[in-house]
Amino acid sequence: MPLVALNHVGKVYQTDGTPVTALDDISLTVEPGDFLALVGRSGCGKSTLLNLCGAMDFPTSGEVVLGGYITTRLNDADLTRLRREKVGFVFQSFQLLHTLSVVENVELPLLLARRPGARGIAMERLRWVELDGHANRLPHQLSGGQQQRVAIARALVHNPPLLLADEPTGNLDSTTGDLVLSILSRAATDFGVAVIIATHSAESVAAARRIVHLRDGRIAPAMAAV
Amino acid sequence: MSFRLLFIRLVVRPMLREPVRTALTVFAVALGVGVVVAIDLAGQAAAGSFHSSLESLAGRGGLSITAIGGIDQQILAELVRLPYSFKFSPRIESFATINGHGEALPFLGLDLIGDASGQDLQGGSQRPLDAATELANDRPIYAGWRLGFHHGQHVRLLIGDRMQDFTVAGVLSHREGEIGLDTLIVVADIGLAQEVTGKPGKLDSIDVQLPPFGSLEQWQGLLRAQLPQSVTISPEGSRTDENRKMLAAFRWNLHVLSYIALVVGAFLIYNTIAISVVRRRNEIGVLRALGATRNLVRNGFLAEALFFGVFGSVAGLALGRVMAIGAVQLVSNTVKSLYVTSEAAPLQFTLGGVLTGLAVGIGVSVIAALAPAIEASQVAPIEAMARGREEYTVRVRSRRSLWWAIAALATAGVCSQMPAIDRQPIFAYTAAALLVAGTSAAIPNLVLFTDAAINRIVERLFAVEALVALRSLRASLGRTSVMAGALAVAVAMTASVGIMVGSFRQTVRVWMNNQLQADFYLRPAGSGAADRHPTIDPDIPDRIQRLPQVAAVDRFRVYAINYDGLPASLGGGQTDAAEMSSQTQFLPGEDSQKILQTLPTGDYAIVSEPFASKHNIHVGDSIHLGLAGKMRAFRILGIYYDYSTERGFIILDRATLLKYLPDPAASNIAVYLKPGVNAEEVRRAIGNIIGGRAVMAFSNNKLRAEAIKIFDRSFRITYALEAVAVFVAVIGIAGSLLALVIDRRREFALLRFLGAAREQVRGIILWEAGLLGLLAIGIGLVLGFLLSLLLIFVINKQSFGWTIQFHLPVLLLAVALGGVYLATVLAGLYPARTAMRMNPIEAIHEE
Repeated sequence: MPLVALNHVGKVYQTDGTPVTALDDISLTVEPGDFLALVGRSGCGKSTLLNLCGAMDFPTSGEVVLGGYITTRLNDADLTRLRREKVGFVFQSFQLLHTLSVVENVELPLLLARRPGARGIAMERLRWVELDGHANRLPHQLSGGQQQRVAIARALVHNPPLLLADEPTGNLDSTTGDLVLSILSRAATDFGVAVIIATHSAESVAAARRIVHLRDGRIAPAMAAV
Repeated sequence: MSFRLLFIRLVVRPMLREPVRTALTVFAVALGVGVVVAIDLAGQAAAGSFHSSLESLAGRGGLSITAIGGIDQQILAELVRLPYSFKFSPRIESFATINGHGEALPFLGLDLIGDASGQDLQGGSQRPLDAATELANDRPIYAGWRLGFHHGQHVRLLIGDRMQDFTVAGVLSHREGEIGLDTLIVVADIGLAQEVTGKPGKLDSIDVQLPPFGSLEQWQGLLRAQLPQSVTISPEGSRTDENRKMLAAFRWNLHVLSYIALVVGAFLIYNTIAISVVRRRNEIGVLRALGATRNLVRNGFLAEALFFGVFGSVAGLALGRVMAIGAVQLVSNTVKSLYVTSEAAPLQFTLGGVLTGLAVGIGVSVIAALAPAIEASQVAPIEAMARGREEYTVRVRSRRSLWWAIAALATAGVCSQMPAIDRQPIFAYTAAALLVAGTSAAIPNLVLFTDAAINRIVERLFAVEALVALRSLRASLGRTSVMAGALAVAVAMTASVGIMVGSFRQTVRVWMNNQLQADFYLRPAGSGAADRHPTIDPDIPDRIQRLPQVAAVDRFRVYAINYDGLPASLGGGQTDAAEMSSQTQFLPGEDSQKILQTLPTGDYAIVSEPFASKHNIHVGDSIHLGLAGKMRAFRILGIYYDYSTERGFIILDRATLLKYLPDPAASNIAVYLKPGVNAEEVRRAIGNIIGGRAVMAFSNNKLRAEAIKIFDRSFRITYALEAVAVFVAVIGIAGSLLALVIDRRREFALLRFLGAAREQVRGIILWEAGLLGLLAIGIGLVLGFLLSLLLIFVINKQSFGWTIQFHLPVLLLAVALGGVYLATVLAGLYPARTAMRMNPIEAIHEE
């Protein structure tokens, strides 16, 4: 059974009463351990697709199956539980809470899920991204690359089978971006996590094992099988 | 681009994008202004523009002759023989209660036969006064139109201790445009009035209309020479002026209290503008980079405050007018209970009042916004764009505020030791303001201290929501400090006034326990008042004393007098020295046994603490009273604690009083029973003696309960003012939390991405509200305690002269502060709901 399956998924937004199609008839499966790059221009629907995969949003047609659950059939509490168990998010602008220390940021998903032993697991993940020495610092005391590594540690702290990264290198220079990509790649290998990256950078594409090109909300046919 | 366009685009539009928050801020200002306007209107109506009830229908511009215990009618006969064209109008001034219930009305006796044209009656009378016709009636009276009587109606009035029947001979209808106080009044011919008030051959006052030439002082001097020394001659309206003077301190303190809500409102304006500055720091940087001057930036934020001030003040005027309807009743009750019988005048907006309301609202708003507006103007373009809000936070943390706090608190300590100026505790109030300012300045440091102290506890004991909330409060230190400051000030004011009133109440209780030792107390029926002292038929105490179960009867007579330009009370008591010494507590250092043994032996007096304080009188001084034709000196033997009236008491021995004012009737009677007798039996026997007289007998417990009821009623207005201040602060908390939610929408969205349930997001906001509430209540309690010391030992003493023992009303404070805490947490509900409903995808992608 695939970890994520999108079956003829469509997403239409209403903007000032005018329908705008973000995704149109997308079918896609993601298996555990996959490293998939969603490539396309800005506004082609990459982020929408990630949000659908992460059960943060619902399709207007078709269905998204995450970990065996059809997301549209779940209520808010079940969706929250599903995200806690199955999904980790990494964002372009890191999105760390500046009021919390590095380790507190990392353990946050565990605390929100009321899981015991949060601090120990968080420290373990920080060691994995080689930032355990910075555990008690505040985010603004770290460089951009370090912040993104903290964000990755946070995304992996609860052992999710799926990691969604939206332009994770967009705010970084190429060297730091490469480092981040290698960590994401290692996550897929070390933890068997399926990684989906939305990107338009060549480096990200090179690191991916599968590439899906999106154009105007549809998967570009020639590239679909790559 | 013009300032107007910039103002609309950069100030008005953002405000309109957050209509709830904008409305809350305007409402907070409106409430602050509303309270000030309401108290001004109510104070003016109930205590300011009031005129002495007893001066109803008095002439204008002439003189008034009065004397303690009344004027002998013979004096009038001598005056009319003077070879000048004076017009003398004798008056009997008393009070009546319709059927013995409700408020007391002025009952005036005027010379309707001999001086019909001289009085102001015919203008309002239903028909011209026809003496022959009226006298043919059975006890004719004229009633003010507002009483609702009609011609020929039979009316029962309680006057003194007797219910008496009268017939309405005419209604004093009001003239167009006049809704004065003379409309709630009963008038009778002077002969009838003398008879029914038990003052045969006596007059309470004589109005003197002066010849149309010569000065008032000249005629006053001339009359002075003709009249005995004991008689007072004063310009008409003096009693009104004296009462107003007496009420000045009360009004002043009420005014100060009314400004509390506005002070809290000022905190909120400061907060609103400070938040605007923090949120738009980047925007300011861009504007500055594009060529905006510092002045433009500063004025933009001041204009925002002006917007709140103008709209809030205009709404506050309307709100104040509505609130004044309730406030006037409360203020009026206090005035009646503690000072003088009066009827509140109609509420009237004056141009001055409107302008004051507007000026106060707009002024406070703009002044409150000055600091953040100047801060905004000092933002350097690069600084703003590079570092954002961190800079602001760091600056707030600076130790400078701690030094300001220490300086303010030290100055407050100095000010609290300074004397009053003209009975107005200006320095003490300055000390209170400095205490508030000093504590506010210390709040950022207190927040940091609290955060450090409870961080571990929160981390270990509570869910992650509490930790995120605590960190967020610490991170937005500036905002947290102002929010906590606003609520802390409101809490402090509530706590301090609560402690002051609670202490006062407890002091009065203890005092009553000492003072009220008799088994029964008797007084004429009708509502009690500080300036009305109807008497009981002397036969009643004499007969009670003959009851075999009765050990002693204490007859106490009180006269409402004027002393040195202020109303006061003159009393005479007859208890034996040993008994009185256990009941009367003198100021420390005075020998009560010796004082009370000396008191009956000559022209000696003891005075109450408020009287001594008001007139700066000390033991050994002499006071002069006009009695039995002469000015008589009474040496002060002691100053005793008294909480029955702020007017102040002069007490003589009953025998001394009777020597000069030989009316044996008592105003109050205390009955002491022999040990072991059946009190219920005696109560019935007293009831039989009272018979048809309208005299009320209270048991000891009932009288105490009655007194406490009056006390509580007197302080309702202060509680109402505190409640409004707390309400304003809670509105502020709601508004600020809403701003915080809008500001941190990305953070909440992120939490949702990280697996937070909607309820957890709500929990964070409610935790923030709860922590803020706790912090504010903690700070407010400490500040409130300090303020209560100022109120009890300095402000009250300087304004009213009462010694109050400190007492902590724990239950009252717990209930009040519990309510405040609950309200604070509830204030977080709407912002929490807003946070829950946010679309996390939209928020997380906002850049």
